[in-house]
Amino acid sequence: MKSTFNTSLITLLLIVAPALVAKAQDTRIQMSSLDHLAAKASQTVDVNVDERLMKLAARLFSDKDEDEREVKKLIEGLKGIYVKSFEFETEGQFGAADLEPIRAQLRGAGWTRMVNVVSKKEGNVEVYLQFAGEMINGLAVLHTDDKELTVVNIVGPVNLDKLAELEGQMGIPDLGIESPKPKKKTNEQ
Amino acid sequence: MKTIATKIFIAVFVMCLASAPVVHGKGDDFNSVVKMIEEFYNVKHVGIPFLAKAGMKVATTAARIKGGTARRLAEAGSIKLAVFEDQKFNGDFAKFRSSLNQALHATWMPLIQTLSAAGEEQTYIFLRDAGDKTNVLVVTIDERDATVVQVTLSQKNLALLLKDPEGTGKAITEEATLIDQE
Repeated sequence: MKSTFNTSLITLLLIVAPALVAKAQDTRIQMSSLDHLAAKASQTVDVNVDERLMKLAARLFSDKDEDEREVKKLIEGLKGIYVKSFEFETEGQFGAADLEPIRAQLRGAGWTRMVNVVSKKEGNVEVYLQFAGEMINGLAVLHTDDKELTVVNIVGPVNLDKLAELEGQMGIPDLGIESPKPKKKTNEQ
Repeated sequence: MKTIATKIFIAVFVMCLASAPVVHGKGDDFNSVVKMIEEFYNVKHVGIPFLAKAGMKVATTAARIKGGTARRLAEAGSIKLAVFEDQKFNGDFAKFRSSLNQALHATWMPLIQTLSAAGEEQTYIFLRDAGDKTNVLVVTIDERDATVVQVTLSQKNLALLLKDPEGTGKAITEEATLIDQE
């Protein structure tokens, strides 16, 4: 009888475990819906620094070198950096329908759009944070311009100050994010 | 009762095993990628010995690789290089990209992939853990030429690559295929 119980418990765990893992990765934005834009783009950049690489990077950056120490501090605790960026020769190569799958995810539980973020970059920059209580679990930036589209997704504890410092590192493009004011507004489209 | 529970357990266990990623042998991926390019684009790569004999412009690559500038990034003796010169790389780049990612995803981690002008220029950088070092596979394809470089990086140079993936990736290819200007 005990053996049956143990077997059933293991079976249950095997079934439930993948769901728990999936839950933990919820701050990862799925960007593959944008892949079709590559055929129209003059330049496409796709960066994937997953948790394994983040751990590796955190281990590799030296504490002795000042620059490396700074980067190490910034990436500690992060679980991934994902970037997809498209540049087009002409306007009108992408529209709201292309962005909808991304926006739909950002309308999901926990995501909050930061309305007080200022960017030096031309076009529209939307910044979203995912909160779990007071903790920030992830960040997403959606930058759209007439001829440009960039989605940045950082998974893990990150804030906008950190993002500003990470720009230009680890494949994150320069988004011109300026230090934010400490206000937030619940997600709205 | 026990039999049913055991059967369920075995079934779930087998399903889990079946869904686990298949791990391929580490040694063949460089050659597989070269072969994939050859088959997909119907082109042929040129080996270093042939280049050296023919006195082609990339001939100096061999000398460079054996002890020259490439060693600034790669560990000595760790470079594998395949060069495709002056051939047509016409094809559905999205399909090629998908095939490449599919072929390597079990053992290599995609770091950065850049495509420009409808696939006229493609760059792919993959990483693979090799103990205290890391294997880096860089594939660059443009309209007429392509290069596949596999190097082993020390931790210090991997840090450089992770800090600036695009810049360091280009440097690896450029150093491995440097034309001697002297």
